[in-house]
Amino acid sequence: MAGTRSNEASHWLALESRDAAGNWGCRIESVGVKLPAGKLTTRNLMTHTKHRTKIQLERLTGIHERYVVGPGENSLTLAAGAARDCLAHSQHQAHDIEMLISTSITRSTAQSWQSFEPPLSLHIKQAIGATQAVNFDLSNACAGMLTGVFVLQDLITRGEISCGMVVSGEYISHLSWNAARQIRSLFSKQLASLTLGDAGAAVIVERAPSGAPGIDVIGFTTLAEHSRLCLAFPSTVGPGAQMYTKSRELQKVAIQDMAPLVAEVIGEAGIALDDIDFLIPHQTSARAIRQGAQEFARRLGAKPKHIVVNLEEYGNTSSTTLFVALHKYLTEQRMHKGDRVMLLALASGIEIVIAVFTVDSQVDQYGRTDCRRQRAD
Amino acid sequence: MGARIAAASALTSHGLRMPTARRLADAAARACLAHAGKESRDVDMLINAGVYREDNMGEPALAALVQEDIGANLGQPPVKGHGTFSFDLMNGACGVITAIQLEAGLLRSGVIQLGAIVTSDVHPHLTDPRSAPFRPTGGALLLGWEDSIAGFSDFYVQTFPEYQDLFASGLVWQERRGPRVPLRARGRSHMAIDEKPGYHARLADCAEETTRRFLHRLGMRMGEIDLLVPAPSAAGFLDILMARLGVPGDRVAYVPEDLEAAHTTGPIASVQAAIKSGRLGEARNTLLLAAGAGITVAVALYRQAPS
Repeated sequence: MAGTRSNEASHWLALESRDAAGNWGCRIESVGVKLPAGKLTTRNLMTHTKHRTKIQLERLTGIHERYVVGPGENSLTLAAGAARDCLAHSQHQAHDIEMLISTSITRSTAQSWQSFEPPLSLHIKQAIGATQAVNFDLSNACAGMLTGVFVLQDLITRGEISCGMVVSGEYISHLSWNAARQIRSLFSKQLASLTLGDAGAAVIVERAPSGAPGIDVIGFTTLAEHSRLCLAFPSTVGPGAQMYTKSRELQKVAIQDMAPLVAEVIGEAGIALDDIDFLIPHQTSARAIRQGAQEFARRLGAKPKHIVVNLEEYGNTSSTTLFVALHKYLTEQRMHKGDRVMLLALASGIEIVIAVFTVDSQVDQYGRTDCRRQRAD
Repeated sequence: MGARIAAASALTSHGLRMPTARRLADAAARACLAHAGKESRDVDMLINAGVYREDNMGEPALAALVQEDIGANLGQPPVKGHGTFSFDLMNGACGVITAIQLEAGLLRSGVIQLGAIVTSDVHPHLTDPRSAPFRPTGGALLLGWEDSIAGFSDFYVQTFPEYQDLFASGLVWQERRGPRVPLRARGRSHMAIDEKPGYHARLADCAEETTRRFLHRLGMRMGEIDLLVPAPSAAGFLDILMARLGVPGDRVAYVPEDLEAAHTTGPIASVQAAIKSGRLGEARNTLLLAAGAGITVAVALYRQAPS
């Protein structure tokens, strides 16, 4: 718990919560998304496998299609596009951003070029004009964006900064093409690579006005005993990367270990699981999400009111999934002030980050006729 | 009250049969824990700030592998207990100071009690094997909380993107040509590192400007800095910087020759040198400075005096 140095750690998770006396509140102010130009259906992808696999991928995962990059698009253009969309829905200008964290796993800035130094965050802040921002890259697999929010939350609650952005641009569809060249059966460790789609997402986290709702609690841990269940590295089959996942084992561990961690978070927030209006889990497969939800209900004795699954349209967009889903629900005006949302990141490592926040004025920025972006259009 | 350096350890690949980024970070982390008299289970947070790995693995974070290797809070989480959380942070040569800033904040908040930072760089598959401007090294730094000193009190970062082309690195795909290229080996992503002439001199310019701005903000003079802990340690950078800032040699932490060409480990190697010489313990005000690609310069003030 923030502000309780002398206390012995009583949680497995490293927890930040808003109830520490004297600290600033913190909230998600806006969310932006950049979807690439192209679309690829699962049916189309599976016609490109080198071997006859007989895998019914759409039925297995619930993924009908996903967005994929077109000519001239890469991690940087997706990230910068998402950051601009985020600013268009925000009360802030680019020069208000004091810290910019890029959490992309992929760092392509041009055709067949993955930038390592300078960090991608420098290119992004230059692209959007956030010249005042301190920038760095953070890499934590699919939990990257929520890890960035965790970092910003601490800086904001201590008053060190008042506004920061986390941004990610994931051009990962090359993993699907590389996997398609090699996959032979349902039991291939590259099967998860066929579920991936491209997307950029950004989120602005800011100091909340006194008494305003915001991030109630955010917790983070790494179950490193299982660190080798999902590995990705550059491919020798084609440009980009390839990923090997022990999906069944990963899912088993996640289902076993996640429940007590969710219990810690809702306990810290002083709520029950059925107080959660929207649970947005990491988007892997519809079946895995359903099984996870059933296990939560069995072990915690309750279930959230609504579980968000957007796989059918987007696939697994890696580190951006949670905020692509949140953005979709905000733009479709499905969330209301006072709704409680749980974001649940599960990533290779195994990294688990869980955040609970209360929806407030950010809904005003989506879909209303007086929205600044619509005025500009 | 403040975040205090509990121990620092930097090492070269000498003695390791197959120096990988993971093994270098593991070895440094174990040595650092031993110096501090801590167990791996005491580590609440582990940040890896290294950049170059032999396999350029994209996920998981290398920090998670190091956490597993050193045995920091493994096993299934109980209802109550104590875990470790890990992630990678990439900010080139400035990554360690950025990581210190994050961990010092979480120590101040009470979210963590002991933070670890590891670094390592090895030569990846290079387009030009002679192009690596660094030597394989690994490092680890432990940060704890101390009520009697101010510790890390202030941080400042400045970027100079007009010089971003002076140092650039990245993976580039190179396809194999020929009639009998197997599917599984159609090509390879190689690391290209491009350092332009005059890079270190420009680093020194930017480091001088950043240092002066930082001290001006704090209302301090360079004469009040008892010890400069710089990275990189290359003469083409450090000699110019010392001359510009007017820092005498006896106020600089010099790293051993075999660690002079460290990359992300540079700041940790300098801290280790400062500890070993006894000067870190004597200095009231220590300035950590790192400069790297971007150009990015990060500085931190470490105060032994009470806050």
